[in-house]
Amino acid sequence: MDERILVEQLKQGDESAFKTIVETWQNMVYNTALGIVQNAEDAEDIAQETFVQVYQSVGSFKGESKFSTWLYRITIAKALDHERRKKRKKRFGFVRSLFGEDSEVVVNPPDFNHPGVVLDKKEKAATLFKTIAELPENQRIAFTLHKVDGLSYQEVAEVMETTVSSVESLMHRAKTNLKKKLEDYYKGKE
Amino acid sequence: MKMRPDIDRKVQETLESLDGIQRAEPQPFFYTRLTGRLQHNEKTVWETMGSFISRPVVVIAGLFVILLVNAFMVLRQDTTTSNLGFVADQTEQLVTDNEYVLATNSSFDYENIDRP
Repeated sequence: MDERILVEQLKQGDESAFKTIVETWQNMVYNTALGIVQNAEDAEDIAQETFVQVYQSVGSFKGESKFSTWLYRITIAKALDHERRKKRKKRFGFVRSLFGEDSEVVVNPPDFNHPGVVLDKKEKAATLFKTIAELPENQRIAFTLHKVDGLSYQEVAEVMETTVSSVESLMHRAKTNLKKKLEDYYKGKE
Repeated sequence: MKMRPDIDRKVQETLESLDGIQRAEPQPFFYTRLTGRLQHNEKTVWETMGSFISRPVVVIAGLFVILLVNAFMVLRQDTTTSNLGFVADQTEQLVTDNEYVLATNSSFDYENIDRP
């Protein structure tokens, strides 16, 4: 069904339209969230939060961009918010532990294995995801959208509300940074 | 010297490890869990009103309106007081003037006004 019709039906509170929207885009939203937060539980949480927001604020969607672009933006915003909250919690837990108060034991997460990576590349992909997590936010988003979600530079530019040349520049810097970090990583292992 | 090409190869392989990646899918019954969450998130009228009232913009606007009403009332009271003061002054002067009138005007005086 045409996405504009679905959106209009959802604006009128049609539950079946919402169900169709969720079923159509749940994999895309989940995959994007997973690429950013690199944790299956967190990604599920973010995907749910994204659709809750879609349900509650579909009235503010003017149709100036594609519905999927709007969805990508909400997902990315939610994922980045989630990461910031997690980092804050981690810092707070560390400070509390300094004062000897009981707090959750913060452990470094294990290597992330994306379920969509082919078996013989799992180890290298886990190393790459670990390195991607160290990139500056904009480079990380551009790289993830292009490499993990398979968006073209044009689509990445629309989601990030920037130009194609900016995306090209972000991708170039991301690749240079990743190369350097990976070189250091493998040199350290030798 | 042998180390460098080996590292380059590993770096290149790592960078290419996401080529052909498949889209990940959430656990089954995602929609069921989502509707459960939506129902849990649904707010009552009072909760909606509470969250609206506690919004910073609404709080600041409310305080501004209260201050504005207060300022208006104070200014209005000042004007009324000064008007009343003018009336009070006039009354006081009239009373004082009357106190200093030596003539006594009684009904007898008016009735016999033409008599020598």
